Amino acid sequence: MYIGTSKLTHTYWPGTPFAADALKNISFSVGQGTFTLLIGPSGSGKTTLIQHLNGLLKPSAGEVYFDGKKIGPDKAALLALRRRVGLVFQMPEDQFFSETVFDEIAYAPRNLGLDEKKVEERVNRAVAQVGLERSRLLDRHPFQLSAGQKRRVAIASVLSLEPEVLILDEPAAGLDPEGKGNLLNLLSSLNRAGKITIMVSTHHLDEIAALADNLVVLNEGGLVMSGKTKEILARGAELKELGLALPQVTGIMHELAARGLPVSTDIYSLSAACDEILQAKRADQR
Amino acid sequence: MSGGISLGHYLPGNSFFHQLNPRIKVPSLVIILATLFAVTSFPALLTMIVLVFLMFRLARVPFRYLLKGLRPILYIALFALFIFLFFTKGGVVLFRLGPLTVESAGLWQGLFVITRLVTLVLFSLLLTLTTTPLSLTHGLGYFLKPLGRIGLPTEEVVMIMAIAMRFIPTLIEESQRLMRAQVSRGADFESGSIFRKAKNLVPLIVPLFVSAFRRADELAMAMEARGYRLGAKRTRLHEDVITATDWAVLLVVLVMLAASFYFKL
Repeated sequence: MYIGTSKLTHTYWPGTPFAADALKNISFSVGQGTFTLLIGPSGSGKTTLIQHLNGLLKPSAGEVYFDGKKIGPDKAALLALRRRVGLVFQMPEDQFFSETVFDEIAYAPRNLGLDEKKVEERVNRAVAQVGLERSRLLDRHPFQLSAGQKRRVAIASVLSLEPEVLILDEPAAGLDPEGKGNLLNLLSSLNRAGKITIMVSTHHLDEIAALADNLVVLNEGGLVMSGKTKEILARGAELKELGLALPQVTGIMHELAARGLPVSTDIYSLSAACDEILQAKRADQR
Repeated sequence: MSGGISLGHYLPGNSFFHQLNPRIKVPSLVIILATLFAVTSFPALLTMIVLVFLMFRLARVPFRYLLKGLRPILYIALFALFIFLFFTKGGVVLFRLGPLTVESAGLWQGLFVITRLVTLVLFSLLLTLTTTPLSLTHGLGYFLKPLGRIGLPTEEVVMIMAIAMRFIPTLIEESQRLMRAQVSRGADFESGSIFRKAKNLVPLIVPLFVSAFRRADELAMAMEARGYRLGAKRTRLHEDVITATDWAVLLVVLVMLAASFYFKL
């Protein structure tokens, strides 16, 4: 088991009238180098689960694993864990506190105790990874950037830890369509070229489904299903019941199939949909 | 997220005390506190303690909330007891330690004063445990109204207090979120010298201020958009009505105060 949990339960404010089970008996695991989507409606426990994977919360019951070892409670082990598993919070630009973009990205490597030369190397590498190396914004104030740039800087400020795993909580929230597209490309290249295991939480499937190897579906703190993207998306009706819409293209393919065009329905990227429809049309014309 | 509870102390419920009107609860507490200072005999004081425990039962407050509420005054109470033990003279000598003596008058006085203190805190605790900070603010605001005659912007003061109360939990949550976010970037808020610790807090405090100012800005905008104007006459969605039960409670506490004076209890 590379990353995963076993019967993880988390209760907020235990022993008070406010007690609330945010996670109930969650067991799942994902392999190294994979791209996993954690989906579920708002309030389903995605953020709580993600924070457990970084050792930021203590399980009320059950265990969390990383690289075959149980996480916590030893402090040194937690520090080591956080070097290997990077976590990008929801609206990560809210954490900005430095006067320059450079300092913001350098915060994590400086916390690791690296010397300034190494820190600079890491900052430059992280900036290149998120595709901002040409925009020469290292000396600018983080608040002067555009929303998309801020998000990239925030991701770079975690990548500068050089983690093996990158977990992102609703990374596309608040971005315009262009920013979202750029972000997806970035995540895809980090996963494919950078060999970073990626886990993304979202309540909105759409184009990002095409990138994912695995889906983990949460609802009201419980694990509903988990498995290969194709298998899960084939259970579209169940997802709809949870208020999770299928990716738009998949919806269109279902409609087309229902109206008699012989296309397969387990398609969730725009380009694959184009190919499939063209093929079906050509077969039709012959 | 443990901060959600300790602040404001409010314990949701539907008991008799939860339903009392804050405009009655606040003056009733003041009268009870006055009664506590008026009584001078142990039996009267013990009656008050029994009363407050019965009230807690009626409000269905678990016992550990009382202990939690009393913890902050533990040292004050011990200190007071210590002072009375050694410095109030009279009665029989109970204990001798070199030049210092503990005499019975001191022991009685000390016990009386800390019992009074504990009872005082318990009554106040009952108010804050059964009243939301917001309705408490409105209750207090009602008594500030007369100050409006001499030009004090009481409506605005109450609004400021209510907004401050409303945002305490939000800011606590925000700071916990930020703390986790920076910890996951390798921050350390626990170790090091005091100067180091203060310096390490910068990544927490700067974003917290930024978000607080942004929130304030957005809130001001939203309030104006919904027609909030300074000095305007405002009505409330939930007009609280003072019921016969409320008046009865006020009457009971007034009778208690009068009795403690009249019978010199």
